[in-house]
Amino acid sequence: MKEIYIGVDVGSVSTNVVAIDRNVNVLFKTYIRTNGQPIDSVKEGVKQLKETLGDVEVLGVGTTGSGRQLAGAILGADVVKNEITAHATATIHFVPDVRTIFEIGGQDSKIIIIKDQMVVDFAMNTVCAAGTGSFLDHQAERLKIPIEQFGDLALSATRPVRIAGRCTVFAESDMIAKQQFGFSKAEIIRGLCDALVRNYLNNVGRGKNLEPPFVFQGGVAANKGIRAAFERELQSKIIVPEHFNVMGAIGSAILAKDYIEKTKARTNFRGFDAADIDFSTSSFECKGCSNRCEVVKVSMEGKVIAMWGDRCGKWTNSL
Amino acid sequence: MKVSFPYMGSAIVYKKLFEFLEHEVIMPPKPTQRTMDLGVKYSPEFACIPLKMVMGTYLEAIEKGAKVLVTSGGHGPCRAGFYGDTHRNILKSLGYDDVELIIFDAPQDNWRAFFRNVQKIRNGVPWHKVINRMYTLYRFVQKLDELEKMVQKIRPYEVNKGQTTQVWNQIQEKFDKIKTRKQLYRVYEECKQMLLSIPTRKVDEKDRIRVGIVGEIYVVMESSINFGIEEILGNLGVEVERSLYLFEWINDNLVPWILRPKRFKEIIKKGQRYIKILIGGHAVETVGHIIDFKERGFDGIVHLMPFACLPELVTQSLIPKISKEVDIPILSLPIDEQTGKANMLTRIEAFIDLLRNRKRGKTKEVFIDNIQEHVQEERVVMV
Repeated sequence: MKEIYIGVDVGSVSTNVVAIDRNVNVLFKTYIRTNGQPIDSVKEGVKQLKETLGDVEVLGVGTTGSGRQLAGAILGADVVKNEITAHATATIHFVPDVRTIFEIGGQDSKIIIIKDQMVVDFAMNTVCAAGTGSFLDHQAERLKIPIEQFGDLALSATRPVRIAGRCTVFAESDMIAKQQFGFSKAEIIRGLCDALVRNYLNNVGRGKNLEPPFVFQGGVAANKGIRAAFERELQSKIIVPEHFNVMGAIGSAILAKDYIEKTKARTNFRGFDAADIDFSTSSFECKGCSNRCEVVKVSMEGKVIAMWGDRCGKWTNSL
Repeated sequence: MKVSFPYMGSAIVYKKLFEFLEHEVIMPPKPTQRTMDLGVKYSPEFACIPLKMVMGTYLEAIEKGAKVLVTSGGHGPCRAGFYGDTHRNILKSLGYDDVELIIFDAPQDNWRAFFRNVQKIRNGVPWHKVINRMYTLYRFVQKLDELEKMVQKIRPYEVNKGQTTQVWNQIQEKFDKIKTRKQLYRVYEECKQMLLSIPTRKVDEKDRIRVGIVGEIYVVMESSINFGIEEILGNLGVEVERSLYLFEWINDNLVPWILRPKRFKEIIKKGQRYIKILIGGHAVETVGHIIDFKERGFDGIVHLMPFACLPELVTQSLIPKISKEVDIPILSLPIDEQTGKANMLTRIEAFIDLLRNRKRGKTKEVFIDNIQEHVQEERVVMV
């Protein structure tokens, strides 16, 4: 009977589920497109885990990402943590001397500054999502290039094209203009990678001292073109960890492991049957006071199991 | 006169002011999504969020029957000085010709206009009564602020989640009924006991995290616009203190410069280390308070600013430098009608993790303790 800890990262584009053992060896990982169905993708991930690993004993579960509350309710998580802490935890484990983490996901991009294995500063995009995965997806779609080939194509370009990267829509207008000038697809894609990296470092990394070693993770780290653009821009080598696209999930599994080991608590994990249970979410506006909170309700087979979003705790504590 | 006013922080104080002057008070509703929608709809797009929210509040107060709106103006290069007139024009263009807007600008800018306004709202109440009642109000604000500071220190350690906020709401209702100084002191003692009887967890000094909230007055004081940041932080187990409380604001702004408390002058002096000229708004105070909070042993600063607020943008651009030189982590949060709560919560949570780490100086260990302390708060209630 293998003993495992499960980590789940529910993001806008992908849902990642990992299993680690006591020594943080990754026994299983999966990367599923969320497609706006977080509940289904979490169930799917857990199902795949069960099929791959067979009989296991789950000692603890951690969730992170924008869907952390929901995933936590469905699975019965022991630890629910924000993705900045989760990502940093995983990276520090695999690259102990890391100083700067670039994390680019579906819609969020973050920079985390580490010193002596400790988060000392971070930044997250607030007003602009230029350069995140969703935008790259959209451009690949428009140019009719599978996103998997995007990076290789960028590397094949011999000269760069300068593309305005201030805003995704203007970047697109500029790309179209450059196409009309007669630049090749490869050159335009390389130009786009450069623009996105410039934009990210200027917007998210504004006013921060970026020190190597640099670690680049998140779904976009799969893109060789963006990696190369980072190396050109920073004049330095960029480390892409082996499990770059599931680091958030690994981090939350590590946090669950530490928590369980320290407290000797028993896990709240609902068991693998959770994958077959019918969950549904709904929300309503509470009219109890002038705050008009948007309260989220999660039901399991018709019975309410979790509520959140109310500031006064009236609904959260009513269960 | 059916009087109303903008809603900011403990609005019962303004209500009391006009009650003492024997007006019929139309209490504006606490701002909600609807207030925001109304304000955004009728305001210039590039105005900052306080203007829009106050606009929405005026419209809701007029719906309830208000005929006179009283507000304070601005002073210095910040746009707030122009906002009263903007509001006036918008109300006119919407056809509310019968609604009067009384704007109190800084008296030293125009004494005559100031006294004209005072006479208007004095409502013929004899001066000796006015002075007596204003003194009561002064003490009223002082006591209410003292209780609020207690609330902010008790909330992070409460055993039953949400209890402190409930008690705080009850306290405000009790204060709302106060008419005399004698009542005030009695109710104050009662409320203090109510707060002290809330069951709390014992937490070691080394595990206590204190955060100072600084920034532009409206987004700092009004919880409906800042997502109830004090409660969010309190529920994450963090003690908070604002840079602005009404009582201190009155002392700092309505008391002649000579008699102003020493502390305020010191804060301004600290702020001038980084911002040497007067740029309006609360920029100098914000910087001064950051330094002051650090000196008083706080662990971190949350800086709130309306999106595109001129003085606070200056502060924001100085923050990396201040953070480094003063050696305190600062999280800057721009707020407007487009701000998303999920993004903000993630950053606040991560920021608190960062502060806990700094305090203990060891990553792993701290994360775990942190989880242990907050697993109840962060984890959804399970059946």
